[in-house]
Amino acid sequence: MTSKYLSNSALKSVNRIGDMMIPKNGEFPAFSEVGGIAFIDELVSYAPADDIKDLNLLLTILAFMPNFVLRWLLGKMENSMESNGPGASLFRMLDVGLRGLIFSCYYTEKIPASYQGKKPLDIIGFDLTRVED
Amino acid sequence: MYDYIIIGTGPSGGNIAHNLYKAGANILVLEAGKLMTKKTFPRTEADTSAMLYWGGGIEFDAQAKMGFLRTRVVGGTSIVNQCLLDRFDDIAFNDWTAESGVQWFSQAELAPYYDKVENKLSLHTFTPDDMNRNAQLFTKSCDKLGVKTGFLRKGQNDCAHERDNDCMACLGGCHRDSKQSSYAGYLRDDIAEGLNLKTETEVLKIENNGDTVTLHALEKGKQVTFQAKNIVLAGGAFGTTKMLLQSGFKKQLPALGKNFSSHPQWMSFGLFDEEINAYKGYFQTVASKDPNLRTKGYKLENVFAPPISAAMLFSRTGTYHQEIMRNYTRMTCIEVAVRDENAGEIKVDNKGKLSVDKPFTDQDRKRRDSGRELISEILTNEGAKKIYASSFAVGLHLMGGSVIGTDSKRSVVDPEFRVHGYSNMFVADSSIYPNAPGINPSLTIMALAQKLSDQLIGTTHDIKVSEQLGA
Repeated sequence: MTSKYLSNSALKSVNRIGDMMIPKNGEFPAFSEVGGIAFIDELVSYAPADDIKDLNLLLTILAFMPNFVLRWLLGKMENSMESNGPGASLFRMLDVGLRGLIFSCYYTEKIPASYQGKKPLDIIGFDLTRVED
Repeated sequence: MYDYIIIGTGPSGGNIAHNLYKAGANILVLEAGKLMTKKTFPRTEADTSAMLYWGGGIEFDAQAKMGFLRTRVVGGTSIVNQCLLDRFDDIAFNDWTAESGVQWFSQAELAPYYDKVENKLSLHTFTPDDMNRNAQLFTKSCDKLGVKTGFLRKGQNDCAHERDNDCMACLGGCHRDSKQSSYAGYLRDDIAEGLNLKTETEVLKIENNGDTVTLHALEKGKQVTFQAKNIVLAGGAFGTTKMLLQSGFKKQLPALGKNFSSHPQWMSFGLFDEEINAYKGYFQTVASKDPNLRTKGYKLENVFAPPISAAMLFSRTGTYHQEIMRNYTRMTCIEVAVRDENAGEIKVDNKGKLSVDKPFTDQDRKRRDSGRELISEILTNEGAKKIYASSFAVGLHLMGGSVIGTDSKRSVVDPEFRVHGYSNMFVADSSIYPNAPGINPSLTIMALAQKLSDQLIGTTHDIKVSEQLGA
């Protein structure tokens, strides 16, 4: 797939980080397996242009980082809420931004038809009833 | 030349626009967001975040310890909130008078305006039949522990509860027009009649020329200007304050941007063996209504979160994350909403970008910790096998920044809702809140907007006074 807002390398980063955050585990498919990233432009397009540019740059750089660097980064992000040290606010913003993007592409009704497995929302039992007249 | 331009269409702007329109004023309503209806509101949680909020999702304080949810759509916050409508009590009003010097803050003085709003909207006080399992466990446990709870009152007219409609869906806008948002409750019929509304129009600068006001704005990306004899700013704490800041009013108004508060909320989840399905039905029907907790400065709300939001509240990822999410339907949830000190400040940086300092004071932290301890007790007493407490604070009630008061050095808006020193610029939205009331702010925003509406209709010669409004 291609994106109007994110480079191919950036998209690759989303899938790599997504699989670290949500690996294949029992019933749960890996992030990249579900393919919700196909709808990423629909989410990103509403963000301010400067933020999209920064996100694209960051993800493009991360695409060239080895796995251990990404795991270190995720660790820093996960612990950032309890930290007050230098750069902690940056890690917190990164944490919410990346998790927001990845969870939004995973726990979603918008899954490509090519994915034939059980959907994450079905796995967690979320079945919203919307009565419309 | 318009009599009034109203900037913003949330609980304040929606009310004022409706009242002035019905009174026959020549008005223009500006809204930065799009007009969405029950047919076009987003149908997924991800789309809701992206499409209805400024910044395409959450905004942070400068330390990124807290997230703010600020809407950009016709109807504003009232489109995405639960439309819980409570009057303020004496504690809130007395504290407002003490902070602001404004003497008409009282239940009795504001009763006529509350009455008008409540008579206009369709209200429902929940009953035991409306409770889902999350609410049942919460109230039962609170009863055992001596914590008083009560049913909430919501603005709604037909939620199809008997047909198993899940109200969590309306966090992205009510697909039934049941929720009494400022769109459904005030503006929808006016728009159909021909109310002069420009959407996707963001005001960048306000120029006060004495007798008139000029607004410089971006309408769908194109630079435009509008002129009016009067303007009403109704962009909420962030929007109204930002417009005034970037227009240079800070020089005359040193208090501009200060006294920001937000009722920070921290959610805790309890894990059970049984299926709870806390997201089903009316997912928010009860809350603590305990004088002791009111005195302590916090309340407990029986709530839940849709999947992406729930996933965001747990900081860990990987298999730990999956284990939590696997149990999504077996969780209950309670949040502590703190009546925080107004120590925050709203700023605009040199690029025109909003920046918010929101330090938690010692008192805020004590209140949070006290609330969390009680939640832990309640969840344990409910029978929770495990408790997950989120450390991420969310601010849904954005208040202050352009506060009301008698002293122009310590406030921005005078007791008649005029920006100090300007007879033709009015504000009656949540930005004028002197401090955090500790009660859902929506109804009082509408009551204050009603008070300003009545004032304008009664005093403006260009407007035909509406007998219906009794002005």
